[in-house]
Amino acid sequence: MKGEQAAVLQRSAVRGRSGHAVARGLRGAVDALEQVLAGLATGVLALLALVVVLAVAVLCLVGVGLLLVPGTLRLLRAVADRERARVSRSNRPLPPAGAPPLSLRAAARDTVVRRELAWLVLHATFGVVIGLLGLTLPLWVVQDVTYPLWYRLTDHAPSVVFARVDGLGDALLVALLGLAFAVVFVVLGPLIARLQSRPGVTLLAPRGSDLSRRVAELVTTRAAALDAHAAELRRIERSLHDGSQNRLVAANVLIGAARRAVVRNPAAADELLEKAQAATEQALAELRGVVRSILPPVLDRGLADAVSGLAAGSPVECLVELDLAVRCAASVEATAYFAVAEAITNTRHSGARLVQVGVRTEAGELRLRVADDGHGGADERAGSGLSGIRRRVEAHDGSFRLDSPAGGPTILEVRLPCGS
Amino acid sequence: MRVVIAEDDPLLREGLSLLLRAESIEVVATAEDGVSFLDAVAREHPDVAIVDVRMPPTHTDEGIVAAVEARRRQPGLAVLVLSAYVEQAFATDLLATGAAGLGYLLKERVGRVEEFLVALQRIADGGTAIDPEVVEQLLTRRTGRGALDRLSPRELEVLALMAEGLGNAAIGRSLVITDGAVHKHIRSIFAKLDLAPDDEADRRVVAVLRYLHDDAAR
Repeated sequence: MKGEQAAVLQRSAVRGRSGHAVARGLRGAVDALEQVLAGLATGVLALLALVVVLAVAVLCLVGVGLLLVPGTLRLLRAVADRERARVSRSNRPLPPAGAPPLSLRAAARDTVVRRELAWLVLHATFGVVIGLLGLTLPLWVVQDVTYPLWYRLTDHAPSVVFARVDGLGDALLVALLGLAFAVVFVVLGPLIARLQSRPGVTLLAPRGSDLSRRVAELVTTRAAALDAHAAELRRIERSLHDGSQNRLVAANVLIGAARRAVVRNPAAADELLEKAQAATEQALAELRGVVRSILPPVLDRGLADAVSGLAAGSPVECLVELDLAVRCAASVEATAYFAVAEAITNTRHSGARLVQVGVRTEAGELRLRVADDGHGGADERAGSGLSGIRRRVEAHDGSFRLDSPAGGPTILEVRLPCGS
Repeated sequence: MRVVIAEDDPLLREGLSLLLRAESIEVVATAEDGVSFLDAVAREHPDVAIVDVRMPPTHTDEGIVAAVEARRRQPGLAVLVLSAYVEQAFATDLLATGAAGLGYLLKERVGRVEEFLVALQRIADGGTAIDPEVVEQLLTRRTGRGALDRLSPRELEVLALMAEGLGNAAIGRSLVITDGAVHKHIRSIFAKLDLAPDDEADRRVVAVLRYLHDDAAR
């Protein structure tokens, strides 16, 4: 029964994936076209700037050009910053480079300017050519596909068709060719866009930025980890106070009352002691719960046992698939455990009938995926425990992805570096 | 004695009611949060209102806020604030409404029923009961400097009991010394601390606690 369900789910997942692939391809092509167009625009700017730079360089030889150097450097920086902004939209973010040096000597020493010049030459030539190429393909697609509508107006077929076109049949063949170009662009478009952005990505990035970005990242995740830690302590304090502490106070009050009653009314004293004992039992039960929520003892035996335990206690039917070849660091396993626990707890509100939990170690990572067939709409900002889980995961340098569109399904994917 | 109880934990509310009723104290109303507590006090005019500090909705200081508000609406209302832990800042807030008819005790003091009943009666009669824990916090924070170092160990004991709100007779009983000896110690303490002598216990509490508080802040 469980196997069947899993198989059914897998089939629908495959179907969903192929549908996704087409949509993804089309979206990629449109994105690519947009990038290529914007790249062509900066390419033309780069070409104009290159002409200016060369002209000023020649004028410098006669001396007059020196007066134009600051303006030219500013122009170069402005064009490069435009490309940085463009590249940031589709690739990794590149910060603007700020004010350029304004003297020839300073500029010659400045590596940023030197790299910008190299980029300028590449983008003004290679970038423009590849941009035109990238633009040509979609143009051919439009011309060829629509050709059957206007083939009567001219017998010169568009794009690369050089043969004479006779009648609708030939025109339709041209349209078919257009579709082929479309497929080619879907495949090549993103590649062209990437190729065009390559000089910008490599030459316009601040050097050593990897390190500074990493530092910024660490600062943020560390702050988030401390926040998560504080929130966790607050939660523990709350549950200790509202639970065990109150139960013990009640037991204390009841024992006090019982002592007073011992002589006066032994029967009442016994009743009070009975209540006091019940209160201490509750205190112990709640203490057990808090202790488990801090770090479940079963984790010592391994994540597999711990996750299986979670599945067994799940309010919804839960299928677990485990492939844990190696043990990870205790803190990593604990984070994974709490991520699964939180996702399973959330199915309570999602109306799900089945939860699938997959946990495996692969390529030095602990990867987990929790999918439910509920109505989705899980929001990590809506005060759920998910934001705490995200902070914990990011503090481990892991990635946290929550996909929960309205209507479902909800998929949580977490990857954690295994640690030593 | 007629009492209103505000406590959000059902078990504790019931336990407290049981204990008080067994001692022939009438629990006229119970409440689970600050708002319903204020309603109950306005309706019942109890001799003492017993309030828990952490109550819904935020479980932080609702009880303190409610107690201060109740005493503002009904000056002279005797209030006993019970808490799982004592916070000197809370004591300061409460004392700002005057020390007469004010109690601030740890919840576990209730278990020592005899002493608790004495304190409750004292509060109902317009006296004061400040938890020894609060006084100790104030005393430990300022050890090693200032005028308090000029007090003898016995005088420090007397000072602590004064700060808890005990009257001269109770101090004498507690330390097993005569009334005369208590008087002598108190006069000496007030002289050393440069405070105006006062035999009224509740004014004395405020003076002593303020002194300790200011001294600790210095």
